Amino acid sequence: MFDELNRFLGRIEADYADIRYEVMKETTISFSGKELNQVSADSTDGYVVRVLKDGGLASVSFTKESDAERSLQAAVENARLFARNAPKPIRLARTEIVKDNFLPEFKEDPRKVPLAEKLEILRKYNDVPLSQKKIVTTNIAYQEVLREKYFASSEGSQIREDLITTSITGTITSKQGNMTQNIRMGAGGSNGFAGIRNQERHFEEKTARAIELLNAQPVKSGQYDCILNPDLAGVFAHEAFGHFSEGDIIENLPAMREKMKIGAKLGSDILNIADNATLPDQLGFYKYDDEGVKARPVQLIRKGVLTGRLHSRSTAAEFDEPLSGHCVAEDYRFSPIVRMGTIFIEPGDNSFEALLQMLGDGLYLLYAKGGQTAGENFTFGANYGYLVRGGKIAEMIRDINISGNLYQTLNDITAVGNDLELSKTGGCGKGQTNIRSCLGGPHIMIKNLVVGGV
Amino acid sequence: MEKLLAMARKVCDQAEVYSVEYVADMVSYQNAKLDKIDTNFLSGYSLRIIKDGRLGFAYTRNLRDRQEFLQNALDSLKGGVRAEYVFPFAKKLPSIRTYDPSIKNLSGESIVAEAGRVSDILKSQTDGEIASGSFTYREKIKIINTKGADLSARSSYAGVYGGIIFPDSGSRISRFYQGKRFRRMPQGLLDELIMLYKHGVKIAEPKAGRMKVLFMPDSLITLLWRMQSGTSSKNVYEKVSPISKKIGRKIFSERLTIVDDPLDDRYPGARAFDDEGVACKPLTLVKNGVLKSFYYDLKYAKKLKAKSTGHGYRSGPWGGDPISLRPDPALAHLFIRPGKRSFMELVKSMDRGIILEGVLGPHSGNIPNGDYSVGASPGFYVEDGEIAGRVKDVMVAGNIYQTLKNVIDLGDALYPAFGGWAPAVLCDDVSVATKK
Repeated sequence: MFDELNRFLGRIEADYADIRYEVMKETTISFSGKELNQVSADSTDGYVVRVLKDGGLASVSFTKESDAERSLQAAVENARLFARNAPKPIRLARTEIVKDNFLPEFKEDPRKVPLAEKLEILRKYNDVPLSQKKIVTTNIAYQEVLREKYFASSEGSQIREDLITTSITGTITSKQGNMTQNIRMGAGGSNGFAGIRNQERHFEEKTARAIELLNAQPVKSGQYDCILNPDLAGVFAHEAFGHFSEGDIIENLPAMREKMKIGAKLGSDILNIADNATLPDQLGFYKYDDEGVKARPVQLIRKGVLTGRLHSRSTAAEFDEPLSGHCVAEDYRFSPIVRMGTIFIEPGDNSFEALLQMLGDGLYLLYAKGGQTAGENFTFGANYGYLVRGGKIAEMIRDINISGNLYQTLNDITAVGNDLELSKTGGCGKGQTNIRSCLGGPHIMIKNLVVGGV
Repeated sequence: MEKLLAMARKVCDQAEVYSVEYVADMVSYQNAKLDKIDTNFLSGYSLRIIKDGRLGFAYTRNLRDRQEFLQNALDSLKGGVRAEYVFPFAKKLPSIRTYDPSIKNLSGESIVAEAGRVSDILKSQTDGEIASGSFTYREKIKIINTKGADLSARSSYAGVYGGIIFPDSGSRISRFYQGKRFRRMPQGLLDELIMLYKHGVKIAEPKAGRMKVLFMPDSLITLLWRMQSGTSSKNVYEKVSPISKKIGRKIFSERLTIVDDPLDDRYPGARAFDDEGVACKPLTLVKNGVLKSFYYDLKYAKKLKAKSTGHGYRSGPWGGDPISLRPDPALAHLFIRPGKRSFMELVKSMDRGIILEGVLGPHSGNIPNGDYSVGASPGFYVEDGEIAGRVKDVMVAGNIYQTLKNVIDLGDALYPAFGGWAPAVLCDDVSVATKK
C-alpha cells in the first residue's frame, strides 16, 4: 500500500503533501425495543490528500481510485487558490520523521468474536430493561469501528496504525401516563471486547434510574451550588474549557486568544486539567495523530494557570508552541482537525462524603446529556440529579440544564474529589464526529451554577 | 449496479441497490481570513435484500467484487431483522427541476470570492469576529429494485453563510443563503446581521420570568426537532410520541400550519422520490394548529398499517453517510407557513421578551416529551418594542406542546431552519431564567 501512496505523492508538485488511506470496517447491531433493527458488518475505504504549496493548504478526499488524478489536481489548485487569497502563509511545525507499524494488542480482539455472539450479548443486555413493566422502549446499539490507517508524507513518514473502537450506547425509555423519561447508557472502549462483556449490572442500574425518573420532580430554575459527578465534570472540562485549548478554535477568536495566553490565571488554585491521549487502555488512546505526529501528554491547567494547548502542525507553528499530536480525522472522508484525546480534571483530596458536607444545601447532578459551547458560554444537560439538604442526598430531580460562563465557572470550582473516572464511549461533534473522545474527572463542587428547568 | 441486482434477484425475494455520488467544495473564512478549502469526491453503494421476511444489508465504496458484496448482505440476513414491507414501484413520478447546470462551471475562485466578500462587509461594518463560508454540492443518486424501479436524480445545492461573533462572549449571530445555484448573499440579510450586532454591543440584564420569545432561524431547531420527533411514525410505533393519539385534535396554536413539501423545487434539495423509491408528495402535518398526519417510511408504515408518505431517508440527526445508514422516517422539506409581519414589526409588537437568535443545548433534554431548556447564545432583550441589548447567562425553557400553543405571530420571511424553511416564530408566556 505504501508504494501506491508514495506513487501518488510523487505526482504532486508541492512544498509538502501527505496522503492517508484507510480501510474502515464497521459492525453495527441495533435494537429498538424488542425489535432487532440492524445487523451488518461492512468495509469501506478511501483517501485523503493534503497539499501545502506557496503557503496555501488544501485537502481533498476521494473514494474511487479513478478519481485519484482529478483529486490530486484539485488539491494542488486549491492550495494555490488558498495562497492567493490568504493574508499570510500557512506554516507547518517541524516534526520527527516516523516509520512505524503500530498494531495495538487487545483485551480480547473484537474481530475474533463472532457476529452471532455479539448479537446475543446485546440481546441479553437489551432484555434487562425490557423485562420491566414501566420501560416502554429502548434504543440500543453495538458499534465496532476499525480504522486501518496508512499515512505517508512527502517528508518520508510512513505510519501504519489500527484503531478499534467498540461501544454499546443507547437510551432506555420509561413511561407513566403521558410522561416519558429516558436514561442514556454507554459501555465499551478502545482496548478490546472485554469492555463489552459483563455489563448486566450497568443495564440494571440504568433501568432502575429510568423508572425512578418517572417520579422525579422537575428542577426549579435558579442558581445553585452543585456537585457534579465525574462524567459531568469531564463534560465541563471538555465542552466549556477543552475546546478553547484546541489551537484551531482559539486561533480564530482573537478576544479569547488574548485571555487564554499561556501563563494566564484562569481558575481556582485547586484546579488541574490535563489531556493525555497516550494513557493506555483509555478510549482516547492513539499513538500517532492523522498528521503523523506522535501523541504526547499536555498539562493544560496547573493550579488554575494555563500551561499548555492542543495543536496541529499548523497551529503549533502559528502559536510557536510545542507539537502535541492532536490533529485527528473522523475517517477517510475528512481532513484532520485539532481534537482532544483524553481530557480530565485531575483528582484532589476530598472524599465524596466530604464534598457533600461542604455543599450543605444544593444539587448533586449526574451524567451528561448533551453539551455545547459558544465562546465563553456553555450549556449542558444532566441526565438526572438529587436535591441535597444539610449534606444529605434527598429527592430525585429531572429536566436539568446547566449554563454558565467559562471563566467565572473555572473560578467557582471550590472543591475537587479524590476519585477519577474516564468515559467509555464518546461522540464529540466538531463538524466531524470523534467516537474516541474521552473525558472525565473526579466529583467536583461548583458554586452558583445557573440551572434552567422547564 | 444492474449486474448486482440481477445476481441478488436469483438468491432473494426482493432486492434494492442504492448508489450515491457527490462532489462537494467547501470554503471557510475564520476571523475574516481564509481558513480552509476542502473538496470531497465521494461515492458508494448500498444493498438491501429481503428473503423469507428477513432483511439483509451491506454497503461499500467500490464495487470491486459483487459476489463478496452480495455475500455480505446474505450474511447479515442471519441476524434475523424482520422486514415485512415490499419495495415500491412508482409508475409515474412528478417532474421537478433539481439541478442547475451553472454549478458545474463555477470556478473555485468565485466561491472563495463570495465568502471573502461577505467576510469583508461584516468586518468593515462591525467590530465583531467574523466567520463566513460558502459551498457547492452536486449529487447523483440512483435506486433500482427487483420490482422494476429504476430511478435517478441529479441535484445541485449551493450556499453562503455569514456570521458575527461577539468578542466578549463568543456567541454568534448568523444567516444562511441557499439555492440550487450559487448566488451572492442578498444585502438585506447582511444588513439584518449588522443591525442585530450593533444592538447587541450593549448588555441588558432583564429579570427572570415568563415573557415573549421570538424564535429566529438558528434557534428554531429547538422547536422543530421536538415537533419532528413527535410526528415521526417511528416514535408513534415505539409509543414515545406524546401526540400519538391526537390526529384531528388541536395541538398547537391555530396560527401554525406545517407542511412537508418535497416537490417545491424553488428550494434546493427537492425530491420526486425518497431514498426508498417511494414517490414524494406534499404532506400536511399540522393545519391551523390541528394535527393532520404523521410521516412514514416503508418499515413503519407497514407496522402501523399505513402507507409510506415518502419519508424514508438515509440521514441521521447529524447528517451522516447515506450508504451506511438505512432509511428511517425523516422530514427534509419542512415549511412553516409564514405570517405577515416583518422582523422589525414583530420586535415592535413585543412589550417584554427575548429575541432568541442562537441556542446552546437544543440536543439535550427530554426530546420525545417535547421538553427543552436552552441557553440564549445570543439572545436580545426587548422592552416596549425596542431592542434594549444583548443578554448573558439566560436560559429559555419549556415544552413545545405548551410553547407552540402560545404562538402569537409569525414573520413574513422564510429562513433555512432545521429540516426545512421557517419564519421567525413569536411565542408568548415562555419561561426565561436569568442570573438576576
